[in-house]
Amino acid sequence: MRTLSSFLGREVETQSGRGLGKCRDLRASIGRDHAAVEAIVVGRRGWLEHLGIAKAQRRDAVPWEAVVKIEGNRIVVRDGTEFV
Amino acid sequence: MKVFQVALGILAAIGGFVDIGDLVFNVSAGATFGYQLLWVVVIGVIGIIVYSEMCGRVAAISGKAVFDAVRERLGFKAGLMALVAAQVVNLMTLTAEIGGVAICLQLLSGLPYRWLIVIAGLVLLVVVWVTAFEWIERIFGYGGLCLLVFAVAAVKLHPVWGAVGHGFVPHLQTQSPILYAYFAIGLLGAAMTPYEVYFYSSGGVEEQWGPKDLGLNRVNAMIGYALGGFLSFALMIVGGSLFLDKGIEPEFLGSITMGAEVPLGQIGLLLALVGILFAVSGAAIDTLFSGAYNLAQFLGWEWGRYRHPRGAPRFTATWLVLLVLALGLVMTGVDPVQLTEYAVIFSAVALPLTYIPILLVANDRSYMREYTNGRVANTLGLIYLVLIMIVSLTAIPLMILTNVGQN
Amino acid sequence: MSDYIDLGLHVLDHQLLDSEGRRCGNVDDLALEGGPGDKLRVVAILSGPGVWRQRAGVVGRVAAWIGRGGVVRVPWRDVDEVAAHVRLRKQAEELGLGRGDDRLRPLVEKIPGADR
Repeated sequence: MRTLSSFLGREVETQSGRGLGKCRDLRASIGRDHAAVEAIVVGRRGWLEHLGIAKAQRRDAVPWEAVVKIEGNRIVVRDGTEFV
Repeated sequence: MKVFQVALGILAAIGGFVDIGDLVFNVSAGATFGYQLLWVVVIGVIGIIVYSEMCGRVAAISGKAVFDAVRERLGFKAGLMALVAAQVVNLMTLTAEIGGVAICLQLLSGLPYRWLIVIAGLVLLVVVWVTAFEWIERIFGYGGLCLLVFAVAAVKLHPVWGAVGHGFVPHLQTQSPILYAYFAIGLLGAAMTPYEVYFYSSGGVEEQWGPKDLGLNRVNAMIGYALGGFLSFALMIVGGSLFLDKGIEPEFLGSITMGAEVPLGQIGLLLALVGILFAVSGAAIDTLFSGAYNLAQFLGWEWGRYRHPRGAPRFTATWLVLLVLALGLVMTGVDPVQLTEYAVIFSAVALPLTYIPILLVANDRSYMREYTNGRVANTLGLIYLVLIMIVSLTAIPLMILTNVGQN
Repeated sequence: MSDYIDLGLHVLDHQLLDSEGRRCGNVDDLALEGGPGDKLRVVAILSGPGVWRQRAGVVGRVAAWIGRGGVVRVPWRDVDEVAAHVRLRKQAEELGLGRGDDRLRPLVEKIPGADR
């Protein structure tokens, strides 16, 4: 069993070692009786967006399907993963 | 009927705005710099209006009080630090206020200080336990209106009104800039004390404000605090008129009441004492509950006066314990006026932890639906946020440099 | 109908309300099941001082010790909706939440006027 808090703050890297940022959040689709993680939100959460100044339409997450392994302090995704 | 309700709320807010921090800092600022810092009070009042309106709106639309927002926005770790900081400052403030109440009672009755601490504690406890929530604010708010005697005193002391007017124009001081800055920080800290917004927002959730109450919220915040600010002006003008060139430092509450006694005699003294007694008692209750609200909201406990003690046992136990702790601390003989200075400065340091989450939540559409901050609220909110950060960073250095305002 | 939400932003650290609107704790963490190459599902909400150890380092461990470290696990199927608060489908007692208040209530009730 994993916990949400154990994901937050981990480095997200590609298989070839390129860093994509830290895991800031997990994006999930929820409905009655189900909640599945769809993507990992990486990078800085925009403060300016929070304050309503900048518009937040950035592609800021990598899809869960792209994750190959989780080890140590890292989450490793396939090379060439597109942000969603 | 609505107008009447609003008027009552405003009256309560006036008397409730002034607490021991405002008393000490406004009169001291007057005694040290005359009328020169009046403009800082204006800035402080606008700041508290802006943020009170924001958290009132957050309470009305999202049903959340400030500390819910603190935890949700800052996360558990930072939120826990904010909680600890808030509780420490709160306890200091509460201790200073109860001590202030005891001093007032002593000036009125002549009974020994130590007994009066216990009496003050018991009376506050019984009043809070027995009285309905709405009535507590009213009783202490209206009693605090006696502080208007300082407004009368200010006029009767015949200040040089030109100099007073000049004090409202922002300007820097070249003679003792560091001490000037210290008092400016203190005045802002006293005007925007965190416990005020914690209590206000929790009250809003308790009273189940909804969208229809937004107008009331705005009017209450603006007029009440503005008129409360007016009392602060009076205090500073009195301090300036009476103490400035005499080199008197109003270190004792008794000195502060002189401000009303000198121009208005015994009746002035009596009204001042009664006003201070009620205003500071009311502030003590607000501070006490803020401490309980913060802990309960952070931890997710059931909370609220409207839940009744049996509906919110841990919340009730919290404020009872806080009251006993504060009484114990006052018993150690700490000087309430001195402690107030420290409490205000530490409050100033903690300001960002309080106000950043409010600004974040007030802009979050998932909480606020279509009631997020408009351009005015955000512009002012951001300006004040920058100001608060400056205040927070400079408060302790200034306190050290000026030796807590003694220089 | 599915909604997308960010778990850390909209669920974690939010107030729990039971089916009757009673406040009964906070979402201190979420339990997930699954892994790389598989689905990752949220299976439960974790609430209680025991969870704080993982979340705030030394201070969290002290806080967990003060709170006497229990953990309550609320299955995700007992979640009714995620809005301003996280609303649950059952009463607090059924889920094992709000026990601190239940334990303290008999004591507080002894004081006259406790239902005022």
